[in-house]
Amino acid sequence: MKQFPRLLAVTCALSSSLVLAHDMVPASPQQGPIVIQNATLHTVIDGVQTGSSLRIEQGQIVAIGPEVSTQDAQVIDAKGKHVYPGLIALDTSMGLVEVEMMRPSNDSYEAGESNPQLLAISAFNPDSEIIPTVRVNGITHAQVVPQGEALAGQSSLVSLDSWTIEDALVPTQAQFHLYWPTLRRLAHDEETQKKQLAQYDAQLDTIETTLIDGYRYHMAAQAGTIDKTDNRWQAMQSLYQGKGQLFVHANSAEQIEQAIAMTKPYQFKLVIVGGYDAWRVADQLKEVDAKVIYTRTLSLPMRTDEPTEMSFKIPSLLKQADIPFALGFSSDWNARNLPFAAGQTVAYGLSRQEALKSITLDAAKILGLEDMGAIGVGYKANLIISAGDILDPLSSKIEALFIDGRQIDLNNRQQQLYQKYLKR
Amino acid sequence: MSNAHSLATLSILAGILMSPTLQANSQLTDNTPKLTALTNARLMVEPGKQLDNATLLIENSKIRAVITDGKLPQDAYIIDLTGHTIYPGFIDPYAEYGIDFKYPQETTSPPVYEIKRIGGNAENGAVHAEKEWINYIYPDSEAAKKWVNNGFTSVQTGLQDGIFRGRATTVSLAQLKANDIIYQAKSSHLMAFDKGSSLQDYPSSLMGSMALIRQTLADAKWYNANIDKSFSNTTNEKIEFNIALARLANIEKEPTIFASNDLNGLLRAGRLLNEHQLPGSLLASGREYVRIDEIKATGYSLILPLNFPAAPKVKDDGSERQIPLAQLRHWDRAPSNPMVIANAEIPFALTQHGIKPDAFWPRLKQAVKAGLSKQAALAALTTDAAEIAGISEFSGKLKAGYMADLVIANGDLFDNGKIHSVWLQGQETALISRDQQWLNHDYQISLGDLTLDLSIETGDKLKGLLSSGEQEITLRDVSYAKQRLTFNADMGQAGFDGVNRFTLWFDEQGIHGRMLDKNNRTHPVAGVQLAKEAEESDQTNKPSKMLISRLTQPNVAYGLLNQPKTEKLHIKNATIWTSTPEGILTNSDLIITRGKIEKVGQKLSTPSGYQVIDGTGKHITAGIIDEHSHIALNGGTNEGTDAITSEVRISDVLNPDSIGIYRALAGGVTTAQLLHGSANPIGGQAQVIRMRWGEDAEGIKFDQAPASIKFALGENVKQSNWGDNFTRRFPQSRMGVRSLFEEAFNEALAYDKATRDYQNLRSSEKRRQIAPKPNYRLEAISQVLKGEREVHIHSYVQSEILMFLRLAEAYDFRVGTFTHILEGYKVADEMAKHGAYASTFSDWWAYKFEVYDAIPQNTCLMNNKGVLTSINSDDYEMQRRLNQEAAKSVMYCGMSQVDAWNMLTINPAKQLGIDEYVGSIERGKQADLVLWDNSPLSVYATVDATWIEGRRYFDRQQDKAMQTAVATERAALIQAILQSEHPAVEGEKPAEILEPEWHCDTQYDVWHQTAATEAH
Repeated sequence: MKQFPRLLAVTCALSSSLVLAHDMVPASPQQGPIVIQNATLHTVIDGVQTGSSLRIEQGQIVAIGPEVSTQDAQVIDAKGKHVYPGLIALDTSMGLVEVEMMRPSNDSYEAGESNPQLLAISAFNPDSEIIPTVRVNGITHAQVVPQGEALAGQSSLVSLDSWTIEDALVPTQAQFHLYWPTLRRLAHDEETQKKQLAQYDAQLDTIETTLIDGYRYHMAAQAGTIDKTDNRWQAMQSLYQGKGQLFVHANSAEQIEQAIAMTKPYQFKLVIVGGYDAWRVADQLKEVDAKVIYTRTLSLPMRTDEPTEMSFKIPSLLKQADIPFALGFSSDWNARNLPFAAGQTVAYGLSRQEALKSITLDAAKILGLEDMGAIGVGYKANLIISAGDILDPLSSKIEALFIDGRQIDLNNRQQQLYQKYLKR
Repeated sequence: MSNAHSLATLSILAGILMSPTLQANSQLTDNTPKLTALTNARLMVEPGKQLDNATLLIENSKIRAVITDGKLPQDAYIIDLTGHTIYPGFIDPYAEYGIDFKYPQETTSPPVYEIKRIGGNAENGAVHAEKEWINYIYPDSEAAKKWVNNGFTSVQTGLQDGIFRGRATTVSLAQLKANDIIYQAKSSHLMAFDKGSSLQDYPSSLMGSMALIRQTLADAKWYNANIDKSFSNTTNEKIEFNIALARLANIEKEPTIFASNDLNGLLRAGRLLNEHQLPGSLLASGREYVRIDEIKATGYSLILPLNFPAAPKVKDDGSERQIPLAQLRHWDRAPSNPMVIANAEIPFALTQHGIKPDAFWPRLKQAVKAGLSKQAALAALTTDAAEIAGISEFSGKLKAGYMADLVIANGDLFDNGKIHSVWLQGQETALISRDQQWLNHDYQISLGDLTLDLSIETGDKLKGLLSSGEQEITLRDVSYAKQRLTFNADMGQAGFDGVNRFTLWFDEQGIHGRMLDKNNRTHPVAGVQLAKEAEESDQTNKPSKMLISRLTQPNVAYGLLNQPKTEKLHIKNATIWTSTPEGILTNSDLIITRGKIEKVGQKLSTPSGYQVIDGTGKHITAGIIDEHSHIALNGGTNEGTDAITSEVRISDVLNPDSIGIYRALAGGVTTAQLLHGSANPIGGQAQVIRMRWGEDAEGIKFDQAPASIKFALGENVKQSNWGDNFTRRFPQSRMGVRSLFEEAFNEALAYDKATRDYQNLRSSEKRRQIAPKPNYRLEAISQVLKGEREVHIHSYVQSEILMFLRLAEAYDFRVGTFTHILEGYKVADEMAKHGAYASTFSDWWAYKFEVYDAIPQNTCLMNNKGVLTSINSDDYEMQRRLNQEAAKSVMYCGMSQVDAWNMLTINPAKQLGIDEYVGSIERGKQADLVLWDNSPLSVYATVDATWIEGRRYFDRQQDKAMQTAVATERAALIQAILQSEHPAVEGEKPAEILEPEWHCDTQYDVWHQTAATEAH
């Protein structure tokens, strides 16, 4: 632990500058092989294995079992410890937002209703002070998502330990984000109500037009008749080609049904984000092979008459409905509570293993990644070593974290302030 | 119908009475004798008193006598009203009629801190107590129709705008000159919570309105006791002339009508009026059936609008899901609301307020169908209304000396009867043209040898039938005017081929005239009126429709049918988290009775009559206490319009219907302090509540909790995030915040001293000197300085924490609890030394600049330095998972589980000054308990049951049953709605105003329903 200079604290209270130098230096690439021994492995793909070991080379898991070779390896004795795959936080604003209420530090939102060309990674701040406080709870990767009206842009998956945005980026297929319009609380007087409804219809029309225009461009591109590039539709090509995915942010059954109906003609790969009512429209979702990122676990019921525990039990309802889903936690700093959101679902119908899977393997699968989110040979060495259950704050005690076999500094700004004031 | 005394047809008479004034007359004065006898009518003399075949004698504008022996004065002009019913004219005690005044509608952009002072008006733009609407009255013939057409003859009127709306006046709806229509020049004072068109920001919240009312009433008392001294030479001081306060001088003896928007508002209004011992009436909401006993207990009469709701839109399951059960239930029960009020024997009047006039009678009939007795309905339209309108001495009955304000109907108005005419001060307004009445009867006519029945159906187009036994002839081209009926009929069946043309005249004797046959030959026709079949009269008080909905407390989903009883309970072999120095006891027993903890120990024997719960594998804790919450409130959590609003009280605006209470219970929370928001340095007075689901607003208060108040520091109070319009109010910096507190404290000290000095004066001196003006704002601050009111101060950064500590020390009071206090760890020593407590978030940070140094180890650092620390939620959702929030201190900084749990129980109990009663499990304390199925600090724990004072307000199994019950009831109501007939008049749109979830800095003008800013 390096000492945090006392003067700096004063400076930071007065200064509006947010990008403060911190001491958490990104880890270098994995040098030699590493073996983690005698651990309880929460493999996600192959159950919980006690007294097991794993070997990591060049950022990948190369062997698992009671006996793995320790040749040339740095050996970590994890007796009595648990090893988990690194957690993937979906639907976050991490690195786009430092302090939400300070506009200069907030890059999460863009004006306009049709911005498929926006790339989240272009605004990501790898030096955000928030990042080290999030990964300390086991989160190794985050999906950074742009916000906006309707078509807001493309999200990026980032590693939470990097020097630059290019280091940070984990390539995935293109991931487009479409915010479905919401009919917010209808006004009391009829006039305003009419306006609200008209506005809602207009928003739906805009989306429809956007999809049609993108499709026209796509057909022209296929026919080779494009004269002038249109930035927006050019960016959307991968979606029409079936390579990209469309993430529709929607919660009510009506929104989800609308979204399915409107996108069906294009056969997009569909992911519903939010997904509060997704279990109610399971058949429609399955028909188009849509997946769900459920983000409202730690929320109030959306409707007053719903059971008190509605938000908590929706993951188990999704499971019962046999819809592929992952858990997300739409936030920036608060995304560090993702493991506890997963833990929360356990008392309401998911098994602990399913809960873990929903923030690891299921999340990776939704992003189209085959080598993340589990402990198995060939998977990336994104790993957590903890003395206790990481889904429960009562017992979670994370001692080491690996991203691509690199051991990550678990220090952070808050830890530094803590250490500093322990000395007062 | 023939009558020997009949002197003229009614239509001719109507013409005379309705003739316009003297303009076209050469005579200078009208000397026509005006003594009229309305004979052979059924007189509804007053509710419950009916005279058949009686005569009402009218002279000029008044009733001269009710005559039952048939002895009429010789000079009376007689109108035969056989078959008619005469009601006293109806009175609407809550109207806006005939007022020639408008408040200026300026357009200014917020903030507006002050209004223009003009003509000695009040300081606040919503106080118009100086207005006496008598001064603006004129007869408005167009507007009057809205009432007269429904049988109303007088209204109590005033401009319904503002909080103190001025003094109403009760007027006749007659179209006479203004001076002649005034019945009661100064009737009720008008009051409401809604500030209406006032441009001034203050008050932006419901509690602000209530505080303004209190202050204004106190000011008025003071003003009227002191104003004379001001104008005498015995004192050197002077007080401002204030006509609004002057006009409130006798309000304690004069009636007040208080308008509110909903049931909770009505109950609040009742409490507020009672608090000041003001007589009067309350404008009802239409939901009185929900809390009828409580309403009855206020002692006020009601003015009831018939605002039955439209059928909720359940066609589409998406929108149906958004409709709360409460709203579905209300559709079911609203029509029976008047019956419930009547059965509770609460005097009430009906009003057209809030509904379209053409909805009034259909709704009233609906109410009668739903069980309201006709007698009660009539009282609500006449005698009770007259009381409220201040005219019961001469209006509301058919009685000698009373105004000749009458409604004449052709039968029972509450059944099928229709209003034929309305008499205003002895002058008739015919609603159904008099000659139309002939068509309401059937006739038997003779045509040659034939005898036929003739019936005419009125409506948009006239239709008719001639019939004889089974045979029917449809009439064509039927037209009628001035007693003359013509039609064509194909009379082949009756032996007259071709189209025959009829011309018939009606009169007292019946019907006569001619038929022209196809050869243009005339055939005489004559007939008599057929007697009507007697109508059934239904005087029962039973609802004709079965109610489908349940009525629970509160009347929302998960409301209770019965209040839980105090349990005698023995919980065996559980893990008991005592929140005492004993720590956590395994395999232990707990016995509770009479709402208290009787015994804690091991292997206790079960006293007889006690229920046993096997606690094996379970955990028992004290109920969780949340130091900082904004649930269960109506009308805003901030009165952030002024920098200091210590006069407002959260206790005024509790909402016991909030589902937040039930959800809190499900998370093991039994007590919370509801704090004013953090929009200003000195906010309002707080209220500690217990989650007694199903109790009323008074019943959820934690009575023993000492007084407390919210203060706030930092970004919110200096309006950092309020937008560019908000840069004028002092303070705008933390330096200013300090200065503001200093000034407020000095003012409060000075106020206190002035009050004391005055009280110490000899009474002769008191009579000469002006008393200090009462100031509830300073009074609350003065209580803080005297140690009588605990401060809970929203604060984040170390500079402001130390600043306030030192300021408190300079003014010699102890700071109660720093709330939020995310940088408390930096100055924990100083806090501990001062004795201040801390209540913080577990891990919140980075949402705004002043929390950028927040750390999740804050609790440990403070706790270890001896600062009594708790975790609060300030949030509806997090409140139900506070147990997990405490566990984060175990995770982030290794706090012991005992300490972590104390942060939710005994520590906040101390912070709220209620640790004598709750917060731990020990003998003698109140049995506020939670049974958990797992370690309460674990994310895997759920609540099995929650008790408050030994009453089980939440039970997991019961909750499951209620979920099913809610679903079943919803389904039944939805079916009923889908099967219901479309009503004659569309119902009202749901009146509920959906309020946002309140947060610390929700800045929301509840009256204009606009959010200024919303953040944490």
